[in-house]
Formats: sequence, C-alpha cells, structure tokens
Amino acid sequence: MNPAVHMDGITKRFPGVVANDDVDLAVERGSVHALLGENGAGKTTLMNVLYGLYEPTEGTVFLDGEPQSFDSPRDAIDAGVGMIHQHFMLVDPMTVWENVVLGNEPKTWGGLRVDEDAAREAVVDLSERYGFDVDPDARIEDVSVGVQQRVEILKALYRGADVLILDEPTAVLTPQEVEDLYDVFEELTDQGKTIIFISHKLGEALSAADDITVLRDGVNVGTVATDGVTREELAEMMVGREVLMDPATTPQEPGDRVLEATDVHAEDDRGVEAVSGISFEIRAGEVFGIAGVDGNGQSQLVEAITGMREPTDGSISYLGEPMAGESRREHIDRGMAFIPEDRQERGLVMSYDLTENGILGSQHDPPFASGGRLDWRASREHAESVIEQYDVRPPNADAEAESLSGGNQQKFIVGREFERDPDLVVAMHPTRGVDIGSTEFLHDRLLELRAEGKAVLLVSSKLDEVQGLSDRLAVIHEGEFTGVVDPGTVTEEEIGLLMAGEALDDDSVEGAAVHDAATDPADDGGDGGVDA
Amino acid sequence: MRNPLADVTVPILDDLIESDYVRSLIVGTVGVLGALLVLGALFPDSVAGDLSGIVFSASTASSTARLAAPIVLAGLGGIFAEKSGVINIGLEGLLIISAFASVYVASVVGIGNAVLGVPAIWVGFLAGIAASTALSGVFGIVCIEFKADQIIAGLAVWLIALGLAPFMSTVFFGGVNTPNLGASVGWEYSAVMVIAATIASWWALNRTAFGKHLRAAGENPKALDTVGVSVSKVRHAGVLLSGVLSGVGGSALALSIGQFVGSGETMVQGKGFIAIVAYLFGNYNPVGTLGAGVLFAGLDAVQIRLQQLGYAVPDTLVQTIPYVVVIVVLALVGRTQLPEAAGEHYETED
Repeated sequence: MNPAVHMDGITKRFPGVVANDDVDLAVERGSVHALLGENGAGKTTLMNVLYGLYEPTEGTVFLDGEPQSFDSPRDAIDAGVGMIHQHFMLVDPMTVWENVVLGNEPKTWGGLRVDEDAAREAVVDLSERYGFDVDPDARIEDVSVGVQQRVEILKALYRGADVLILDEPTAVLTPQEVEDLYDVFEELTDQGKTIIFISHKLGEALSAADDITVLRDGVNVGTVATDGVTREELAEMMVGREVLMDPATTPQEPGDRVLEATDVHAEDDRGVEAVSGISFEIRAGEVFGIAGVDGNGQSQLVEAITGMREPTDGSISYLGEPMAGESRREHIDRGMAFIPEDRQERGLVMSYDLTENGILGSQHDPPFASGGRLDWRASREHAESVIEQYDVRPPNADAEAESLSGGNQQKFIVGREFERDPDLVVAMHPTRGVDIGSTEFLHDRLLELRAEGKAVLLVSSKLDEVQGLSDRLAVIHEGEFTGVVDPGTVTEEEIGLLMAGEALDDDSVEGAAVHDAATDPADDGGDGGVDA
Repeated sequence: MRNPLADVTVPILDDLIESDYVRSLIVGTVGVLGALLVLGALFPDSVAGDLSGIVFSASTASSTARLAAPIVLAGLGGIFAEKSGVINIGLEGLLIISAFASVYVASVVGIGNAVLGVPAIWVGFLAGIAASTALSGVFGIVCIEFKADQIIAGLAVWLIALGLAPFMSTVFFGGVNTPNLGASVGWEYSAVMVIAATIASWWALNRTAFGKHLRAAGENPKALDTVGVSVSKVRHAGVLLSGVLSGVGGSALALSIGQFVGSGETMVQGKGFIAIVAYLFGNYNPVGTLGAGVLFAGLDAVQIRLQQLGYAVPDTLVQTIPYVVVIVVLALVGRTQLPEAAGEHYETED
C-alpha cells in the first residue's frame, strides 16, 4: 500500500538559501508523524510545500501514490491536506460554526442564505464523530485556546482533510490541554486520518508520535520509530553532535554579597499584593534560582529588583546600597543586567534593527554616546560582535528585530545583557522558545559568568533548567518562598510539592535555609569591600 | 454600566435585532415619542402640544423621510465598507457627487424625455448612483491596491467632490446652484428605498455568505485568506456597495427637490458625516442605523418647523446634536465595536 504522504526528493531554494535539500518523507496512513528539528531546520518550509504555499524547486509530492502539483493552498485543501497554523486563523467575534464553514458555507434560497442548520449540524456531527466537546454556537473569543485549536482541526476536517499538518501545536497549550490534544490525535488516526506535526520539543515528539523524522539544516537526518529511540539519540540527531542534557556545574565558594532583598512586598498592576514578604540574598559567583508556576509573583519580584516596580514594603540592597525606588536607569548604570520575560514587549524594540537594539540601555554610555550624539559605527561593531558570539541568525546587524525568529531574538537579548559586564544578571526564562543547541550554549555562558564571579538570579518555569544551574533554589508560591532547597539533593517530587504550596519538613530545606541565613564565611569583608 | 432599557423586549423585532443596545435605542425612542403624544393630547396648548402637533404631522414625516434618506443610505454603505475593513469617511463626497450627477444627467436628458422608456428623472437617479459608485471604486483601488491611508483618501474623496460638483455646476449651468428641474421624486420613494435598503442590508450582512466574508475580512483577513477567499475582492465589494448606497441617498436628496445646491457646504451639508455617526450610533446594525438616521433627520425636520412657528431654536445647535449624541454614547455606553482590522492593509503571503 502506498503511504498517505510521500514527499520525494524535495528541494526548495530561496535566493541565497537552500531551505530543503533533497528531503524524503513518507508517512503511513493512520499514523502520527513528528517533524522534529531546531529553529530554521526547514520543517515549516517542507510543510509549506506539502500545503501548497510554496512550489518545490525540485521533487514531487505524492498523496496515496498519486503525484500532485499544488499551485495554492486551495489545491492542497481540495486534495485533502489541511494545515493548522501555530497562530490560529479564526475570526474571534464569530461563532464556532461560522468559523468552521467560512469560505465553504452551505447555502439555500439560491445562494441568498447561509444554511445555518446544515452548517451547525455538520459541525456537531464532526465533533461528535471525533469526540470533540465543542459548542457550535460559542464565540471564538469566549472559548479556551485548546478549544480554538479543535475548531481549527474541525475546519480542516470539514473541508475533507485526510492529512492534517499541525505547526507547533502544543506551543500555546496548558499541560492538560496537551494531553487532550494527544487524545484527539488518537481518535483521528483511529478513523484513518494521518497527522504530521512540527515540533522542536523532544518530549512532545516522543510521547505523541509513531514515527519521527529529524531535519537539520534542511536535510533529512533520518526517520525513526518512536519505540526504538532515546531522548539523547534524538537530541544528537537534531543538533549534529552529542548534547549534554544536564549542564555541569562545578562547586564554587560564593563571594561577596551582591543582592540582598529583605521582606519585599509588591503589588501587581491591579493593586493586588503579588509578593508577600520575600527575603533572600545572592552572592558573587552564585546562581540563585527561583522555580514556580508562572504567575505566582515572579514577575513582580523581578520587576521590583530591576527597578521597574516600586516595592510597597521591604528593602532591596545591591552592592551594599539601597536600591528600592531608584530609577531603572540607575539600575542599569550600576551594572545590573536584565533578561525580561517578554522579549518583544520589553527586551527589544521590534521595529529597530539589531544595531539600534544592541545599545538599548547603553545609549548614554561610551563608546556608543559621544559628545551628544550616537556613534553608530561603534554601535554596529557591538551588535555584530553579539551576533557572532551568540550565533544570531541571520547574521545581519541591519535586520529589524521583528524579522528574527523568537529564538534568535532571545539569543540577541541574552548576548546584549551578558556583554554589559554586569555584577548581577537577572534572567527571566532566558531560554524560552530557544532550541536545544542554543539553550545548551546559553547555559554554558551563564555558568561562565558564574565562574567569573558574577551573581545570577535565574527565574524559570523549566524545572530542569533552574535545578541544573542553580546553587540554591527557591520555590515560590503565591508571592512567598515555600522553601529554599539544595538543587543537588532535592527531588522533583519535593519541588512539585513546594510549587503547589505545601511545606517540606525534611533536611534539605532546613539545611539550605540555615546556610542562607546564618553561615556566611565571606560576610565580614564583604559589605565594606564592594563599594568600588 | 448596565443599561436599564436593555431588558425590555420587543418580540416582533427580536429576530431582527441581536444586540441589547439597539433594542434599547428603539425602545427609548418609541418611549419618548409616546410620552410626547400623551402629553400633547392632555395639554394641547402647551409647548408639548405644539411639539406633538409638529412631530406627528404629515409634513414633518415627509420632510424627515427626505432628510433621512441620504443619512441612512450612506450610513448603510458605510457599514459595508467598514465591516470589510476599509473605513470610508468619504461618504459625504459620495453624496455630493451623486446629488450633482443625478440633477445634471436628468437636465441633459430633459424632463419629459425618456431613455429606453426610463423617464429622465430616473435616468438621472441611476446616473447619480453610477457617479458615486465610480468614485468609491477609485477610493477602493487607492486604499486596497495602493495601500493609501484610508482616512486621508476618504478626506480626499470629500474634498474632490466638494470642489468638483459646484465647479461643474458653474461650467454647465453658470452658477454653483443648478436651476430647478421642475420635477422631483416624491418622498414616498425615498421612504420605500430607505426601508428596503435597510432590510436588504441587514439580510446581506447577517444571513448571506458574503456577509460572513465581509465580517471576516474586517476582523481577521488572514483567516479569510487561508480558506481561499480573496480579501481584496471582498473589500472592493464592500467599498463599491458603500458607493452604490450613498449614490441612492445623494440622488434621492437632490431629486426630491429637483435641484442641486452647491453653495457653501452644498446641499448635503454634512449628512455624510452624520451618516458615520448614525452607523456608529447604531453599532454597525442596519436597523440601528435606520433608527439613528431617522432620529437625527427627525430632529432636523422638527427644528425647521419650530422655526417656522416662531420658536427661536438655534439651528446650528440642533445640528450639533448628532455629534454630541455619538460622543456621549461612545463614552458612556462604549458598545460600538470597531472591526479588529479596520483601517489596516492586508497583504497575502503567496
């Protein structure tokens, strides 16, 4: 029997770039196939060829053994290929059924009336058949992201899709919704549909797919069955070399106290208390991690520390001087680097090019500012050096920030902040949206900073990241630390309990807390010595 | 803020009116008129009596219909354009150009003559529609194909018409005002056209596939594009419809008198802008737009009658009422929902 999808020798060239180089892909009917690769590996290009958005430079697409030639997505839809984009293509104020039938409305009265009953019935039939729980009359803006995704799937099914392509389908979902999506996959494949999904997450490919094809630099590195492959093997296929899944930290004696927060309280934008009395300190050459479910006060705490939000109570001292209430510029000038959680909102000016973005925060300082004007040559050299060291692609200082992929934007911000020569780095989700190869690199850089004697405050919702990099790990829940633990000895279950707000009574917590509060070998000389 | 009138139901109208907001508008207007009628009947010699006599007189009704036609029809046209994502603030210009073209063509044909069996005045009517549609077509091409700023292009449409119509009138008739044709279109025709257009627009927007596409083009054009419907075609259609409907309104305005008045702000006198106010006030609902247009036209008609009866009502003050009303409504109620992508250009990827 012919495979449902067979892409034979697909090559797609863009001016100056070969996005896909002689890629073969075969997907069996009724299976789930993951297309795995790092950002820029050519996954989306390959799927755009299958979906008719791009015409391949060379190669042929076969569906059920029949060669196809698509001029537009419309042709692909007619041939039974449906695409679910990462950003949903739904009209928010319209209802579920209106969105599902949009462009293919059933009509009565000689075309003068949309047959609402028929449309609604078609949507109900489809959603019952595949076990979707979707109300056809709900408005898109009122339903959850998970439901919106199902509406997208319904749209494709309504148009008669046999092959469904999903682009990074779990990127916007909660863990529970991800589980539900996997159930939907199962239901669809049971009824003979074929699913291809694009991903750069190993775990996702391993748990949802039957087969995995790995792309790297536009080349098919190999197709493997999920049963016969390990995480490490997949990671190596993706990156092209062995990847250390756990960064290696070496023990190191912490130095002077860099940041000290005492009983910090802060409110969120609505005036509700989000941080309720947090105290901690970070020493030079130490990574202090904060783990927790997003939205438990991490953002407000970090904003209070970096001078973007005035704490309502408590004190923050940095290098021995009180910092609470000082301006943001004062924080930057005193050598505090900040990797914000929302890179597009706070990390970059999207319509600026990288040269301009590269001096954000340093625009008052030499060599960039000289005699009341900006030295663009120095700025460009700086941006180019960040681009080169941090492997930002495309390597073009004139590219606007918005033209870069999320991962590359993040690498650029991290590079800019690390190169500030800071005493303290406040990093919030530094590797969010970054592929594994680059994540490993950023982790190494973070540890290098630590080795250079910088202090690092690391906030991340990725547990393995905070646990692997931190010297001490605090867990935050509803604006309070539920515990400060030794990341080397604490178990994931214990962190999970702390994240849920439960207290631990065992030694690992107390031990770390005692170290935090009482034993400070470097304390004596510390406070006086950091003024310079 | 909860509107107390929103809970009142009008069973017959319920199917036509999906929003509480429009329902409360209608109930409120009917309530005020009812109160006026009762007060007028009880105290025939008071101001209320005079007012009620004016409001419920046949001459006020006919003059309201005449004044409402351009407001409501251009307003309906504005809904089509804006729902599709193109804000057309050039409605005023479309009214002016169609008002002039209808009178001009009717006089060229000559009252009493006919073309293909169509009497001159109706030939003029069609010509007015054609002129307005053509101008809206140019506006659409400039906005959609050449991605001009919609507000600037809309203002240009107004200014071009405002200059061109009196100029042409001077060229052909020797003055900014054309001579009277000596024939006119009865107000009953205007009333019928307004009501028919309102119902047809409501149906087109809410029940047809085109209406869904229009809405999608204005809210999320990419969603429409990915299902294989051309966003620019839908937008062109929306803009052209605004031209057709404004053309009907402008022709009806001029031909109900039989003359084009080109002095000052021309005979259109800001009715195109009040049309925008009317559809915003009606929250993009044709029925609401009809209500708002009739309300504004009615106020104007009553004001004119009151002056004739010797009440010193400042007409400029009455004419600001629509604008004040829309600001109050937008500020307090805030129910008007601008389409998400209105005013934005859309470019397909492939």
